[in-house]
Amino acid sequence: MIRAEKSLGLIFFPAYDWAISPTHPEREERLLYTQDQLREEGIFDIEGITEFKPDIATEEDVMRLHFCFPDVASVTTESHMISAGGALRAARAVMEGEVKSAFALVRPPGHHSMKCVHGNRGFCNINNEAIMVEYIREKYGKRKIAIVDTDCHHGDGTQDIYWHDPDVLFISLHQDGRTLYPGSGHLRELGGPNARGKTINIPLPPNTSEEGFIYTIDSMVLPILEHFKPEVIVNSAGQDNHYTDPITNMNFTAHGYALLNEKLSPHIAVLEGGYSVQGALPYVNLGIVLAMAGIDYSHVKEPDYDTNYSPQDDDITEYIEKLREPVLANYFSPKPDTDRPATGQYYTRYKNIYYDTDGIQESQTEHVMMCNDCRGVIMIESSSSVNPPCAGIEIPVFGCKRCQAEGYRMLKEAVASKNFLTVQFTDRVNKIYERHNSR
Amino acid sequence: MLLGIDVGGTHTDAVLVGDDGILKSFKTRTDHDNLLGSVTTALAQVTDGIDVKKITNINLSTTLSTNAIVENKLEKTGLFISSGPGIDPGNFTMGDFFFVVPGSIDHRGTETQKIDMKAVKNGLDRCRENGVKVYASVSKFSTRNRDHEEQMAGAAEGQADFVTSGYSLSSSLSFPRRVATAYYNSAVWRIYNSFTDAVVKGITQIGINAPVNILKADGGTMPVAVSRAIPVESILSGPAASIMGIIALCSIDRDSVILDIGGTTTDIAIFASGAPLIEREGIKLGGSPTLVRSLQNRSIGIGGDSVIRVSDGRVTVGPERKGPCMADGGDQPAFLDALNFTGTADFGDTARSADGIKQLAASEKIKPELLAQQALEYAVTAIRRAVDAMLAEINSKPVYTIHEMIEGKKIVPEKLYIIGGPARAVAKAMTGALEITVPEHFEVANAIGAALARTTFETELFTDTGKGVMTMPNLGIEERVDRRYSVEDAKHDALIHMAEFMKKSGYDSSVKPELVEVSAFRIISDYGSSGCDIRVRCQVRPGLIKNLHARGKGGTK
Repeated sequence: MIRAEKSLGLIFFPAYDWAISPTHPEREERLLYTQDQLREEGIFDIEGITEFKPDIATEEDVMRLHFCFPDVASVTTESHMISAGGALRAARAVMEGEVKSAFALVRPPGHHSMKCVHGNRGFCNINNEAIMVEYIREKYGKRKIAIVDTDCHHGDGTQDIYWHDPDVLFISLHQDGRTLYPGSGHLRELGGPNARGKTINIPLPPNTSEEGFIYTIDSMVLPILEHFKPEVIVNSAGQDNHYTDPITNMNFTAHGYALLNEKLSPHIAVLEGGYSVQGALPYVNLGIVLAMAGIDYSHVKEPDYDTNYSPQDDDITEYIEKLREPVLANYFSPKPDTDRPATGQYYTRYKNIYYDTDGIQESQTEHVMMCNDCRGVIMIESSSSVNPPCAGIEIPVFGCKRCQAEGYRMLKEAVASKNFLTVQFTDRVNKIYERHNSR
Repeated sequence: MLLGIDVGGTHTDAVLVGDDGILKSFKTRTDHDNLLGSVTTALAQVTDGIDVKKITNINLSTTLSTNAIVENKLEKTGLFISSGPGIDPGNFTMGDFFFVVPGSIDHRGTETQKIDMKAVKNGLDRCRENGVKVYASVSKFSTRNRDHEEQMAGAAEGQADFVTSGYSLSSSLSFPRRVATAYYNSAVWRIYNSFTDAVVKGITQIGINAPVNILKADGGTMPVAVSRAIPVESILSGPAASIMGIIALCSIDRDSVILDIGGTTTDIAIFASGAPLIEREGIKLGGSPTLVRSLQNRSIGIGGDSVIRVSDGRVTVGPERKGPCMADGGDQPAFLDALNFTGTADFGDTARSADGIKQLAASEKIKPELLAQQALEYAVTAIRRAVDAMLAEINSKPVYTIHEMIEGKKIVPEKLYIIGGPARAVAKAMTGALEITVPEHFEVANAIGAALARTTFETELFTDTGKGVMTMPNLGIEERVDRRYSVEDAKHDALIHMAEFMKKSGYDSSVKPELVEVSAFRIISDYGSSGCDIRVRCQVRPGLIKNLHARGKGGTK
């Protein structure tokens, strides 16, 4: 019998009875052939690989991270709570030493979900990895966490959530936003004034191949991780960089994904996108599982690899090599934010967000305290085509005394103003998650 | 009259069940060097003075195949596998004639690389030179497309006495399990068939003219003629026979725990609403997981003969067995001796038990009463923990739909049934929330289960309307279907084909197949529907020809 060199937990939740719509890429059978492949390979019989049943995330788990408007139940279904719960179970298995690392193969995905949630955008409602990261911080006292997003689409939701957080390093590798949804993730996006250089975007050109991805990992991602020294590394493991993916234009492979994973060596990987249900997912997932378990994956190869995969063009190689310097500079010597107000003042950001899946338009005003003692209390005023103005106030994890007091002051003011349909109040220091409905 | 014979690891039991319950039973020690002798002795004894013409059915459970595999007394077997991409196929090496053949079939059953017949031929040549006579042919995803297995098997014709093709064993996925199961099947084929020939001859000689069935690990039977091609299905039927025996003796209708306390081990089984649970994949044997369906059953090393030890003042029991307990002529005090000493049991030579316990207590400078009491507590705690662990495992079993995730049922046992030599003694010690029953006749529950077990069967229909193919692998069915083929068609076909196959093969045709799982997925390629993936699993679940509840009722509470 085969034995895993590194023990691995698998949380497999294909949600065979849930789809966005009958012909949507995010539909029932997305993981059907992946499960067939993993079962046929005998993955679940390998000594050292354990399958865990997902937890079901609670409302508190979601409110610890998101501002849901008008409330959690209105923007989620059971499938979202189980998918997020799958990520939580993965975290629990690793944090409690049941296994060395874990891979949550769950759907629906989450990395396009931002801090505020009015509905579904980019196939995502709630952000599975971020909910998990906040769970890890609260339950296991970890502080410094790195999220490496290898989905082909820019992880704009995760970026939005950690934009102001200097303790969470978010690195996204993706097909250049000028050529693909959601259109963001450019080099100049490198974190808010309290967290400059802790958001790192690596926009790769279409047709980036194995060579380009591995180069990016070796010469950009790993040096940054080594310097940041995270306590936990999370991989947002989207699989849509594959050369057969129907909705992207990259040229990555199952073997490449396995190698990338081996190099990155994440504690927890959470599945994101990937819509080549037959040609890629069965092989990519198999490759990742084997790599994470420390089992030889050299025999994992797509059946059409020899005919349909082509090595990288020289101009692409050249382009990616030129990215290295600015990417490293963004982390090691980020340009200061010239708009940064003085310490003790609020920094304000205005955002318009379109929810492509649900067709919702949202407008936000975000106020962040410029603080030297914590990442700063946050208040977001948000209204959308489905909700009148709502507000969210968050005293951050490890929040300082001043920001705590500010949070409570703002809460009082917001509720008294009767300007908002609902105010979500999150006090991460005292673990208070509540909602005040003013009307 | 129904005749059941169970050739177990320690004992061979036989019972004859009539309209009014057990007519006769017989127990003897199993002669491992002469299993056939054990069967014929049991057969002769239990039918002695009986009108054998009245016997209407014979069921036989035997450890023959199990022993051959565990003791590695296997015939040299040519194992040909074609794996395609995935885990390094070298990991699945079994035996000395193992050949990996280039070729690949994908998860939808599409051939993505032709099989390399030259490599097959080279391997076959080597086998022939070495006098290999039995073969196994296994390809990945052969349950979706059996072409490669058939090509490899076909090439062995002429030099093979027997070939197992993986798809014929089970419709379930798992290439490594298919490899191991097919290999074992071929490797025990000859020894099993010659044994079966002799048994059938013996039965005929006594004048019995009744169908003969073979017990399986899932608590069901298969006709002896069917078993000849799938002897691997006869492995590890013993524990299942005991479980079926308890169902025959007690009317179980709630979530329950069953303990079968033997000489070396205690076997634990769990019932959900009165029905035994079936292992999701298959049973493990000789370190290899197989595709052989079985009842869920866990074994821990606590039995009547489990040796008692004291180290640093701590009393432990098992998991080793150092010969029989002292009451049964052994020379080291064991669990049953402690039960004898505390007065909860009255087995064999109780004076020897007392001597053994006192001697061990004296050498460890503790009171003998304390030693016996602590041994009992240790054993009971170990059994309890194992039950809890098994329940936890069952209740945290992964599920794959939101419906099951939200509506999933938890098993919370209300009753505990205990059988086996020390059953009554352990029942006295197992005080707790559960209501405990020790059924009557439990000492031959295994043979009763064997006698009364009914046929079981399982198959899966798999349809890919995009490819226009419907298959039922272990029935050998492969048909063309059109794009309108629906879930209803699939359900209908699965049940009809299964019933027809069972009738044709000599299974008890009075039992009705049932649907277990039905799923249908629209397959979308490039934003257009390219057909439907339909899967229908059906089975005849384990059950009894009849039960003995009117007589077995009550027991000791």
